[in-house]
Amino acid sequence: MWWARRDPPTAIAAAVLVLLVCGSLAIPAVSPYSYGGQNLEQTFRAPGPTHWLGTDHLGRDILVRVAYGARISFLISVLAVAAHTVIGIVVGMASGFLGGWVDGGLMRMTDVFLVFPPLLFLILITGLLGPSLVNIIIALSAVGWAGMARQVRAEALLLREREFVTAARASGATDRWILGRHVFINIVTLALVRASLDIGPVILSEATLSFLGIGIQPPTPSWGVMIADGFTHLRTYPYLTAIPSAVLSIAIVAVTFVGEGIAEARDPRWRRR
Amino acid sequence: MGVLSFLARRLLGMIPIVIGASLIVFIVGHLAPGDPVQILFGDISDPIIEARARASLGLDKPLAVQYLGFLARLAHLDLGTSYAYPGMRIGKMIGAALPVSLALAAMAVLVAVVLGVPLGAVAALRRHSLLDRLVRFITVLGIAVPFFVIAVVLVLVFSLRLRWLPVSGWGTPKDLVLPIVIQMLRPMAYLARITRLSVLQVLGEDYIRTARAKGLPTRLVTFRHALRNAAITILTTAGLTLSLAFTGAFVTETIFGIPGMGRATVTAIFQRDYPMIQAVVLVYTGLILTLNLIMDLAYAAVDPRIRYA
Repeated sequence: MWWARRDPPTAIAAAVLVLLVCGSLAIPAVSPYSYGGQNLEQTFRAPGPTHWLGTDHLGRDILVRVAYGARISFLISVLAVAAHTVIGIVVGMASGFLGGWVDGGLMRMTDVFLVFPPLLFLILITGLLGPSLVNIIIALSAVGWAGMARQVRAEALLLREREFVTAARASGATDRWILGRHVFINIVTLALVRASLDIGPVILSEATLSFLGIGIQPPTPSWGVMIADGFTHLRTYPYLTAIPSAVLSIAIVAVTFVGEGIAEARDPRWRRR
Repeated sequence: MGVLSFLARRLLGMIPIVIGASLIVFIVGHLAPGDPVQILFGDISDPIIEARARASLGLDKPLAVQYLGFLARLAHLDLGTSYAYPGMRIGKMIGAALPVSLALAAMAVLVAVVLGVPLGAVAALRRHSLLDRLVRFITVLGIAVPFFVIAVVLVLVFSLRLRWLPVSGWGTPKDLVLPIVIQMLRPMAYLARITRLSVLQVLGEDYIRTARAKGLPTRLVTFRHALRNAAITILTTAGLTLSLAFTGAFVTETIFGIPGMGRATVTAIFQRDYPMIQAVVLVYTGLILTLNLIMDLAYAAVDPRIRYA
């Protein structure tokens, strides 16, 4: 694997990420415990042979809950980032290529969305619409699309002036061909690079919302919920908080490294930002 | 182009953003499930009393009228009365909470600047040294590790194990330590990272080579040329991190029970206290816009190449 030798930190991060994803899929399927199964005679068990990562205040198996939390986290972040990437590409390209009042109107809209601190916006939407899985995804993509649209628009404006577009036009290519063949592919590549960098912050946002109690609702396990639950027992049973915190941090660090690795492989200039 | 006309144009440009923000908040608040009348008065069985309660809150009028009324009151800086604490003026609640959060954010960013900028600069000047590697490692951790996880670790170590600091509370200077440390970490990480990168970039410029070739002492090159030219990027980041510190307040204030804007926001959301939510969002919008404006003015002060355009 040539790329692993060229960029070892990214390779390690990618391996960790693959491990996390596989674990999140396999563990709940293989384990004899379910994420909601309570056993009030087995509460606060320290990590051991029957419960590898111990049990929580309701006697639920932490390993299964952490793995299930990973599913929720990855599901939400991938769907949310996919949604805001698509919206961002559509709005950014419309803005960049149609110009005029469409551009003006759309960009004023992104202004409004970019002024809000993201977390405030998230708290508002999920808090007011109610914290369901769908609403959380809606909120997360509502926060992310504006930045994506701005970048796609900037790239579209740049691409319009690039030599290969002029060359294609000079050799008689139609607008549709140029847009579909040259511009769209470049823009999608850029958008995907940015999307890979957006996943980490989105995982963090979801965990923060759940931690505050306006994200994923119990009994569904989410890393944020588990950290908040454990916080009450921090003095006596610190591992309740420590385990999901560690997994969450590892996941975000891994995703960040992979994202930066992808970005740098696509375009070395990215590292500077 | 003078400073005044620049200011005037920027202020005019803010109006659509403020209106947009208020409109979004207003619409989201009213599409939301959960009836404020029911929250305020409980279940009312008598329809006449319910209608009267609705009318007293102005909820019986069409949405557009309610929004215009909201804007008109806003123009008089009247933010209304809380639904959750009847009789409490929103303005008073904000007035109590805002200084707390502002002070906390300002202190956090101040500490972050004092620590982060020198760290980043030294890391850039001694590139590939052990310190450089350490700074890069810390910045990646600071950016990637969620701050509530850091909060958990710090509370566990300093409050619960060592018992040096209180677990939560507000009033004594000791209560300030953990919240400031937690809110300052991310801004510091960003600042160190950006400072390092922008100093590295400036060090690669031709004029630095020229200055060196002229035989200028390294100290002069570093301070007069490199750091001064990197200042604008650092300044931008410092401004950005202030809004990062505001956002961090949602978590730190909730964890430590600090009576600031962050906790007020989360509480208002839980209580569906519409007037308070609207006020909080508008205050934050105003804060961020003011901050952006100040940053724009500051750039021009630092960098003579930038005109008020």
